[in-house]
Amino acid sequence: MTNLSTNIQNTWCPGCWNFQILAGVKNYLAKQIKNEKDKENWAMVSGIGCHAKIFDYINLNGINSLHGRVLPTCLGLKVGNPNLNVIGFSGDGDAYAEGMEHLIHMARYNSNIKYFVHNNQVFALTVGEPTPVTEIGFKDKTTPRGTTIAPLNPIKLMLAAGCGFVARVYADVKQVEQVFDEAMKHNGFAFIEILQPCLIFHPDIGLKEKTYNLQEKGHDKTNYFEAMKKAEEFDYNKSEKIPLGIFYQKEKPVFEEQFEQLRKLKSEKKSWKDLKR
Amino acid sequence: MKYSVLFGGKAGQGPNILSQLTGEILVEKGYYVFYSRDYQSLIRGGHNFNVLTFSDEPVLSNESKIDILICLDENTEKMHKNELKKTGLVLKGTEDNMYFAGRLFKILGLDFKLLEEKLKKLKNFDENLKHAKKGHETEKNKIEIVKPKNNSKKSFRNGSQAIADGSIKSGLDIYCAYPMTPATPLLFELAPRQFDNNFLTLELENEISVIGSAVGAAATGAKAMVGTSGGGFDLMTEFFSMSAIAEIPIVVYLSSRPGPGTGVATYTGQGDLNLARHCGHGEFFRLVLAPGDSIESEELTSQCFYFSQKYKIPAILLGDKHLGESFYTSEANAKITKSEKTISLKKFNSYETDENGIGTENAEIIKKNVERRLKKTKEIEKEAEKFEMFKVYGKKDSKNIIVSWGSTKGAIIDAIKDLDCKFIQILYIEPFSEKIKIELAKAKNIILVENNTGTLADLIGEKTCIRIEDKNKILRYDGRPFLCDELNEEIKGRLR
Repeated sequence: MTNLSTNIQNTWCPGCWNFQILAGVKNYLAKQIKNEKDKENWAMVSGIGCHAKIFDYINLNGINSLHGRVLPTCLGLKVGNPNLNVIGFSGDGDAYAEGMEHLIHMARYNSNIKYFVHNNQVFALTVGEPTPVTEIGFKDKTTPRGTTIAPLNPIKLMLAAGCGFVARVYADVKQVEQVFDEAMKHNGFAFIEILQPCLIFHPDIGLKEKTYNLQEKGHDKTNYFEAMKKAEEFDYNKSEKIPLGIFYQKEKPVFEEQFEQLRKLKSEKKSWKDLKR
Repeated sequence: MKYSVLFGGKAGQGPNILSQLTGEILVEKGYYVFYSRDYQSLIRGGHNFNVLTFSDEPVLSNESKIDILICLDENTEKMHKNELKKTGLVLKGTEDNMYFAGRLFKILGLDFKLLEEKLKKLKNFDENLKHAKKGHETEKNKIEIVKPKNNSKKSFRNGSQAIADGSIKSGLDIYCAYPMTPATPLLFELAPRQFDNNFLTLELENEISVIGSAVGAAATGAKAMVGTSGGGFDLMTEFFSMSAIAEIPIVVYLSSRPGPGTGVATYTGQGDLNLARHCGHGEFFRLVLAPGDSIESEELTSQCFYFSQKYKIPAILLGDKHLGESFYTSEANAKITKSEKTISLKKFNSYETDENGIGTENAEIIKKNVERRLKKTKEIEKEAEKFEMFKVYGKKDSKNIIVSWGSTKGAIIDAIKDLDCKFIQILYIEPFSEKIKIELAKAKNIILVENNTGTLADLIGEKTCIRIEDKNKILRYDGRPFLCDELNEEIKGRLR
């Protein structure tokens, strides 16, 4: 078995829920990557924030990109080499604040990229400011009287934007591994939000105990309106129950399959780099 | 012999197609043609005009006086009659644009068959031919134009077409852009050619995504290029800076318009020299090359790819609307500098990293990385000396030296033909040749010509400690290019 770990010291806080995500991702990858050759079929991208350290802890090629710019970077890797399995990691600041425009457009482009958003509802690495998904009343040094603006619901946003795979899991090793597997079976862009408490700046405020699994409850993931209804159950502010699992799944035309140049590269198992001109 | 024809009308009346086919036929006959476009930021109406200057000798600019004024609407005559020479002709009427093509061909004594052949390649052939024939039969005036000296094969391209040729010959794999005048003509040129030449053009949601995707593609080893104007480039600069630290090669075509802000969208200016030199945060080397005509556009594009790939750096090809949208006739073949693809996918990072691409805060490694980038800069400066970093024209032993860069080249060359002066055109803005200092030191009198408020004078001051006097700065910053006869007068007044 090939080594997916790096020998770098992990600097997440002791007990951070990111460890669960890292383990889930690595468990899935370990099943897919048997040797160094397999590894070359994968590329990972991260943004900037606590989540991004995952780039340093997984021994895969790719780019630790700029804050908010994970998806354009992923798209570039995909069109640069359509044979690559491209996986992206963002935080909620990355995905929903700095890089929001890319998220909406990626749902529309539908490039075959798997995108994980580590949502801890806070800017953690910059020591605790509210993000677009922080609940009303949250206090930090920048909001001494508490935030007053209602959070965004990314699940609804992704459904409205036409995303073909919309899922949410909790930062749990099994859930992450399983949703990764489901996302890889889907041909197209997969949006996976991971509810991930931040031990220091945004601990679990009783979310985990309210979660339940959509698939266990017989949710029809092919039904857009049912998906929207389920998405309404948790508004990221105050909720009684929080659905997890796949809200919606529908295959649509894939971005890179629309270009004959890229189809040709893929069928010949080549990248632009291999073309001698 | 030199004639200037102005084609004017409302947007939508087709002055472009008239000047284009006239230009192409004159070049095929062996003449040298230069034409520039003046158009407003609107789609229908307004006043657009193209000035086409042709000669039996090389011509690279327009002049202020017009021989033939073609008025597709009444407004054109009102706007331009003062520019008409005493012997000039005015062609007006309410007919279709091809009617005027017929008249012009009669006046210039050009074979009608050549026009007919061109019309076959356009839509509405029967209709166009009818109008053209009518014009040809109606027209009674004739100008005896000198026969061309030779019929050597010439290219007739605008700067954008030449950059497209240069990038394809350099092995372009992916071109990304968001529409922004005056860079869009390059996308117009590349998009239809992507299938036959097997590369990819992508139009994405904004300039940040454009350069982000280009950087992502470049990380897999693809040769990637983006194109934009000042405002769009402002949005790109964070990724530009990142490509320097991650050592991912990227070529940026920066086509200037007058600024700041949205500025003047469809007019010309050279106000982005400092933007190009200083774009992006942090200390790193920005390669900035500035072509002045079509051949140089092609050659310097290939040199941008060369340096960018070899040294794994971001590179800027700096142009403007006048270069990108004016048509140049050239007999020369561009010298393309071939480049290898140097990148393989590995761990790239926007953070300072260790040798494995993993983020680091280690003081020793940071220092080492900074010094490696510095060393690379020195190597680039040294290797650049193998290229033509500046060119010298005019009287080589003159003590009057004109200095400029970019798209002002054409008007300067046409302006100084009978003057006692030498012209130094700077192609390599960064790195800047040390030999320029030696050249300038020989001068009794240094004259600056720029389509801005004098940023090259500041650059020369910084690099050579030579100060150009304010009274010796010939500057134009009204969004219009220099005209060679007016520039000739301006230069004459400053010669010693």
